[in-house]
Amino acid sequence: MQGGWPPAASQETTSSPDGALTVGFVGRRGAVFWLALTTGFWSILTLGFYRFWMKTRLRRYFWGSIRPGGHPMEYVGDPWEKLLGFFIAVVILTFYIGVVNLLLMFASFTLFDGNVAGYFLSFLGVIPLWFYARYRARRYVLGRTRWRGVRFGLEPGAWGYAWRACVHWLVTICTLGILWPRMTFYLEKYRTDRTFFGSSKLTQGGRWTMLYRAALPLIGAIVAWVLWVVWITFIDPIGEIWAAFLDELLIELLGYEAFLSKGTAKPKNVWRLWLLIPLAITLYTGVVHYMFGARRIMANHKSAPGIAVRSNLRTGRIAWIYAGGTFFAYLVLTLGIILLSLIVLPIFGFEVLAQITGTDADLTFDAPRWVAITASVIVYFGIFLLWSVVYNTFVTFPLMRHMATTTVLPEHHGLQSVSQAARDEFAEAEGFAEALDLGAAI
Amino acid sequence: MTHASYFNGDTPNPVPVYVTPSDDGAQIILSRPNADDVIWPASDIRTVSDLPSGIDAVLRLTSDPVARLYVQDAGTLPRLPHLNRRAPPKGRGRLAMWAAGAVAAVALQIGILIPLMADQLANFIPPRAERALGEATFEQIRGALGSDTLGPLRVCEKPEGRAALNEMAATFAPSIPDNGEISVFVLNHPMINAFALPGGYVVFFRGLIDAAETPEEVAAVFAHELGHVVSRDPTRHALRSAGSIGVLGLLFGDFAGGAVVLFLTERLIDANYTQAAEEAADTFAHTVLEDAEISPAALGDMFERLRKKHGDSDGTLSHFLSHPTLSDRIDKARDAAPEDGDWSPILTEQQWADLQGICG
Repeated sequence: MQGGWPPAASQETTSSPDGALTVGFVGRRGAVFWLALTTGFWSILTLGFYRFWMKTRLRRYFWGSIRPGGHPMEYVGDPWEKLLGFFIAVVILTFYIGVVNLLLMFASFTLFDGNVAGYFLSFLGVIPLWFYARYRARRYVLGRTRWRGVRFGLEPGAWGYAWRACVHWLVTICTLGILWPRMTFYLEKYRTDRTFFGSSKLTQGGRWTMLYRAALPLIGAIVAWVLWVVWITFIDPIGEIWAAFLDELLIELLGYEAFLSKGTAKPKNVWRLWLLIPLAITLYTGVVHYMFGARRIMANHKSAPGIAVRSNLRTGRIAWIYAGGTFFAYLVLTLGIILLSLIVLPIFGFEVLAQITGTDADLTFDAPRWVAITASVIVYFGIFLLWSVVYNTFVTFPLMRHMATTTVLPEHHGLQSVSQAARDEFAEAEGFAEALDLGAAI
Repeated sequence: MTHASYFNGDTPNPVPVYVTPSDDGAQIILSRPNADDVIWPASDIRTVSDLPSGIDAVLRLTSDPVARLYVQDAGTLPRLPHLNRRAPPKGRGRLAMWAAGAVAAVALQIGILIPLMADQLANFIPPRAERALGEATFEQIRGALGSDTLGPLRVCEKPEGRAALNEMAATFAPSIPDNGEISVFVLNHPMINAFALPGGYVVFFRGLIDAAETPEEVAAVFAHELGHVVSRDPTRHALRSAGSIGVLGLLFGDFAGGAVVLFLTERLIDANYTQAAEEAADTFAHTVLEDAEISPAALGDMFERLRKKHGDSDGTLSHFLSHPTLSDRIDKARDAAPEDGDWSPILTEQQWADLQGICG
């Protein structure tokens, strides 16, 4: 026993010298890997039903790793309520997907002699639902997130979000993406202005035009692409390779045969095709810089009474996490698949494998069919499991860590006056997002 | 004695506390500065699970959903008996209700609503649309049974075999009402099967032609499938699956969606029509075969021999073999053949050889 009363006050606040509240991160990559692997394994054994537990436990781990002011965030979502939400979504969505799709298909075949129109309309009908589900999922996750015992939350408003998102997308597409920052801003503002921590409401400040700053590298990349295409197509035509490629593309896309390659000269200055590599990298980093740069700018304009947020995230680092992490994840996945087939092969033999990978029409069916089906199900699920494991380990984990450790609350005296908010009873949890297959993102 | 931060579940302000056990160990006492002690019953205390492993811990009470105790060094805590026990479950009744509801909703749709709608819509679908539906389904099946490397399943098109097949189709043409169009194809696949698709598609697998001993047996199966075409069974079936594929894909979520679609495509081939539909198709086949001067018994012969050769349980066999009333159908086919029937071969020896070699 040392020190007087109160005990060790200094341990309670991990703040920087200027009094800002910093966010720590204590999770470990190996732990994420094992947690994802074991829970993923159970997901397979239970035909996917354990995935609600898998997601819950991973979130609990990630949330618990994030330590604003030294105290862990807490995720209190319940896997059973996720299962319930999934059932609710199934009940409602089966109607749409079953009955409405049947009618759409019928109409499509009757009026257009094909199923393309039906698929298109069906897809179009899902878009608002998709935004709806996204908002509901966010509301659920925030409603089950706590820090220092106090709940976060998002006010209801999913349909308002869905139609706004549809209109913003329409405007963005009609303006060829020029008004994309406007969409980014207003959709984020819609969400932020409805977000709260206990009794304290968050506000999104700033203007949408401020996001153009984040778009500059992307604009630069697009300009570079246009210049490059103009250069090798019109100014100094590269010749046959390019024209043949364009021909293919046009035929593929429009069924239109342009035969640009006719009468063009031999390919010249072919080295210019190598420029595609830096161009692709520029475009990729441009997109990431816009998405996360915009997020940073907007985070810096978020505030609540007596609380200010500051994000120091580095978009270059995030671009690297996505690119390097995905590459590494693929590498590990490939190794895992090789390992998996080494295990599966001796058990089931080569003939079964041939059946799984595609029916060879001349193959006699020696192995019993259930063996082939079981093996293919195992391989199929196994690949999904491995992907989820490596993605969590090599992408989600470093991303979470970076996002957490670069966030600071320079001003936080407003926390003193925050009090608890009521629980958001939320029957269908993130069921719609789960059922519509947007559950992949944590 | 343990240092900890207490969160009362109302404000996000950490209150530094000392944690000490009560004399009997049944409670722990959280002593706050300038405030009353907080008493937690030791048996109601749980840890928050799945936290990154470390020496710290977050404790909560089963009786209070929001209050938390953040302990820097959990090793110094007094003994807490149920620290890692699960909290009592809640709301399971509602869960069971919705689960039952979900199952019922899916069953209602797949079992009643979609078939009912499909049956009604099948009466209104114009012939052109029906053919388009059949064509789409045909391509879907070819794709599903084909391989990734070689593309969709090959359609056998050897000219001589094709001519023999057309000859057979021409024999049955008068039996099709309203001059409906019939397209017959052979797919290069060893499965012993044949099926009909919307818009007058009749498709044989090579395996069935290989397994038949006489052209009459192929013709008998042909006539049976025509029976389905005439009563529009495949149209109803294809419309049903157009609706059901989505529903089942939803149930299995992101994981197994693809596998389910594959399974359903298989179902399209192994079309399980109702017993009544099968009987109607058989009856139709008997009449058509007789009109074409072929013994309806050929259908029974085909069934019987395949059953003998492969047994009842072989999974690779086609749908008509797994049908429970197979014996009944064999008998009926034999009964439908009049004793004094005047039969003539449907194909010449040469044509039959050509048909057998249609896949080259």
